[in-house]
Amino acid sequence: MTIQKVGLILGLIVVLQADPYALGHGVQVDKALNVGGYFSTEFSVQGGEKTLAFEDLAIMAYGDVNPMFSYMTEFESIGFYQKNLTNGIETSHRQFHAERAYGDVWLSDAYNIRFGKQITPIGYWNREPINVLRDMSSNPLYCSLLFPKFLTGIDINGYIPRVEGMTYHLFGQKNPDLDDEYVNIRNKHFFGLSVEKELSTEYSSGGSIGEYITLTEQRTRFLQLNAKYDDVKWQFMSEVLLAKSYYSSGDIDITFTGYAQGMFRYSAENAILGRYEHFKDHHVGREDNIAIVGYSYRPSYPISLKGEYQLHSLDNENRALFSFSVLF
Amino acid sequence: MKPLLFLISCSLVLFGSEFSVIVSKKLPFSTLSTQYIRDLYLLKRHSVGNIRIIPINLVGQDESRSIFESTVLQMDRNRLNDYWVKQHFQGVTPPLTQPSFESIKAFVQNVEGAMGYLPSSMVDANVKVIYEF
Repeated sequence: MTIQKVGLILGLIVVLQADPYALGHGVQVDKALNVGGYFSTEFSVQGGEKTLAFEDLAIMAYGDVNPMFSYMTEFESIGFYQKNLTNGIETSHRQFHAERAYGDVWLSDAYNIRFGKQITPIGYWNREPINVLRDMSSNPLYCSLLFPKFLTGIDINGYIPRVEGMTYHLFGQKNPDLDDEYVNIRNKHFFGLSVEKELSTEYSSGGSIGEYITLTEQRTRFLQLNAKYDDVKWQFMSEVLLAKSYYSSGDIDITFTGYAQGMFRYSAENAILGRYEHFKDHHVGREDNIAIVGYSYRPSYPISLKGEYQLHSLDNENRALFSFSVLF
Repeated sequence: MKPLLFLISCSLVLFGSEFSVIVSKKLPFSTLSTQYIRDLYLLKRHSVGNIRIIPINLVGQDESRSIFESTVLQMDRNRLNDYWVKQHFQGVTPPLTQPSFESIKAFVQNVEGAMGYLPSSMVDANVKVIYEF
């Protein structure tokens, strides 16, 4: 029996045993097995070059094995198919890699242990890293260049006792990544502490400190702050990060980056957005200021159509980006 | 949303609480804050002290569920649906549902740690009220 036939039979079993399906909620076979996934496509125009990409395809499975233990697995293919419409060159990457593979041991609301490969619990943007959940297609430089997006290690987290609405994450990694294919910063040492306070249903703020050592022996220490206001009509969020890096060459340098983003939802489906980003890396002498205007249309929340135009202070980096993404 | 909350608050002051959040009478606590119940129903918290809580929701679009969502969870249906779509990515599924207030009451009476809401007129000595709205 081929692997495709086995997959088809397993898929049929999942569908036949599942609860009624609702888009964006996955298929629930039982409490111990929920299956879902997402995909995104992008069309970009930059410097006269047009690119169409089936950018992301991922499958997730998760569940509660018992009240104390739950798990999450996610396998993703990034750059599944891409075509440069200007020169006709096609590329594809159809291999799936482990994006998340972790277990949660719940001991109390103040003490939960997550172990395995997981998203680094820093700020807002990094914790919702997929296109369909974001309100703009592009990521700020803030969360792709200055701290590892993923952690293969342990995160002890929970509510801080006797402080209403305040949570913490104490995390660490002292080993290589479980699957480093899509890791932004390959490292062998990553420790940090993150706290967040929910001030009201609309306001929250938080911050993190951490240190990591890359495979090239660059040691970086960082301080990060975030704040958010979110009501039915308006959302404002901002995150900033200051990092000090010690390079194997003996150089020591500072990097600063941050963004502020505003969104106005003028109906349940439509929103207009603006974002300003600043990035300054003394080590490579790079400084960029980016202003972005965007539009988001969601016929229902798990389906996202977005468009944006980016204006960079650096030459030849301006671009238009459109995306279509679905969480299923 | 704010005018609706204001109207609901005024009606509660004038006519008394319409709904009650209930737990088993065996549980050792007698009251919880709005914020705490909200955190339990949004599955941000899972316990009160050492007791694991199982929040129960009413299935479907009943008006009482909308009142619970707007006054206690402080979210309308669209926003709550968005929240659960985001939680699907985080590996979290919404609370269990029951088809009627009678079944919510029976569930709370028989399952330790269960929490539900029902019209205050249905409350009797078999369950304990910890919050009214």
